[in-house]
Amino acid sequence: MGNNKPHADQKYIEALLKNDTIVLTEIYEKFAPKVVGYIKKNNGDEPRAQDIIQETLMTIFKQAKEKGLQLTCPFDAYFFLLCKRKWLNELKKSSGKEVTIPDEVVSIDDESVSFADETEIFETKHELFTEMFDQLGKACKELLKVTFTIKSMEEVAQKLGQSYAYVRKKKSLCIGQLTQMVQNAPKFNQIQNLL
Amino acid sequence: MTPEEKYELFEKFCGQELSINEKARLNKLLDEDVSVKEELKVYGQLHSYLDTTFNSEAELAMLENTLKKIGKSYFVKSPKEKSTEKPIKKEIEKETKRAPKKESRVIKIPAWIYVAAASVAIIFGVYFFSKSNPVYNDFATIPELSIAERGSADKNSKNAEHAFNAKNYLEAEKYLSILLSEDESNAEYQFYYGISLLEQDKYANASQIFERLYQGNSGYKYRALWFEALNQLKQKKYDQCSELLKNIPKEAEDYNQAQKLLKKI
Repeated sequence: MGNNKPHADQKYIEALLKNDTIVLTEIYEKFAPKVVGYIKKNNGDEPRAQDIIQETLMTIFKQAKEKGLQLTCPFDAYFFLLCKRKWLNELKKSSGKEVTIPDEVVSIDDESVSFADETEIFETKHELFTEMFDQLGKACKELLKVTFTIKSMEEVAQKLGQSYAYVRKKKSLCIGQLTQMVQNAPKFNQIQNLL
Repeated sequence: MTPEEKYELFEKFCGQELSINEKARLNKLLDEDVSVKEELKVYGQLHSYLDTTFNSEAELAMLENTLKKIGKSYFVKSPKEKSTEKPIKKEIEKETKRAPKKESRVIKIPAWIYVAAASVAIIFGVYFFSKSNPVYNDFATIPELSIAERGSADKNSKNAEHAFNAKNYLEAEKYLSILLSEDESNAEYQFYYGISLLEQDKYANASQIFERLYQGNSGYKYRALWFEALNQLKQKKYDQCSELLKNIPKEAEDYNQAQKLLKKI
């Protein structure tokens, strides 16, 4: 995606990862007014804007944590675009129909759009994974939780009172089952089409 | 190749543990069948999703807490103030610096009053200086575990109970996790399991357990919240601790203790 050098605004991504209150406060000061203005103009209010901002920042955190997000574009347009799309989705959910509002607030460059696309796909996938994980059987859920939180398989095996080979096999089977559930979900094809 | 074998290869691939032979087998499989390639891709994505999700739960909860606080202080300002876009930081600084302006009047005070005032100041100073932050051990009262039924042959319950009450928390953790693997939703096991982790300073794992209990509706809901607050106290995270304490309702068993601790923080 464009050049590889991180943008100076990568500091906002780092702040999310480090839970840096000072820089996170700066995000609200600098970027929230535009989002609040947009949401208020389009059937929303301040509490909704507050939720949208918080949810968007948490999604960015998850992507940064899992995928090592490196921003090569300004945070401003990227963040605004994500909040805007999230708000449109909310409106769509509550009204049950497609909502389009003409762009007028900021001009958005291609790079910001593709970063926002990537984050949006990440979020949709994440939601699908969570939904499918919740549908897994109890035994698999518990085993996956334990095996991913405790890194040493020997320790896990000891903890569960099972053999090392059994735990590893069971882990792979549970993820295998989850893989199939994800691939069979209609939402999965929709995500694939977005790529 | 059976699905079991395939997934074992996938698992080893994700953990970068494939031997040369296994690597060759996997490559052959991928070359022969495009759908396996696609499946491995999704398997890998799920692997990384599960890894990150389970290992950053506590971080995410902390971030949420911080964002809520910042959001609250940002949005609480009246729209008029916000339109002028006064930065929050400066506002806070200003608030703290702002001293009430009063017209100055000169009143002569007898010297003995200065002496008395100084003595009072010293007494207060000594009192507050010696008053240190509250500590975990002053507030944590570990309840007794009683799960083994009389005459029951269930060794794990007996062992868990014995280890926990003897303060051998590593052993207690082990037996309680076995009990939990058989009865995952047992709130009592979860609660004592959380305490066993907390007593061993396994803060993040203890948080996960207490948070899950707090989100549920068992009888341990608020006991878990109290212990999660103690978890934060043990880590000297006083702000987080006090935020949690405020959510303990009056009817909760630990309400009085929570109020006492809140006053000390």
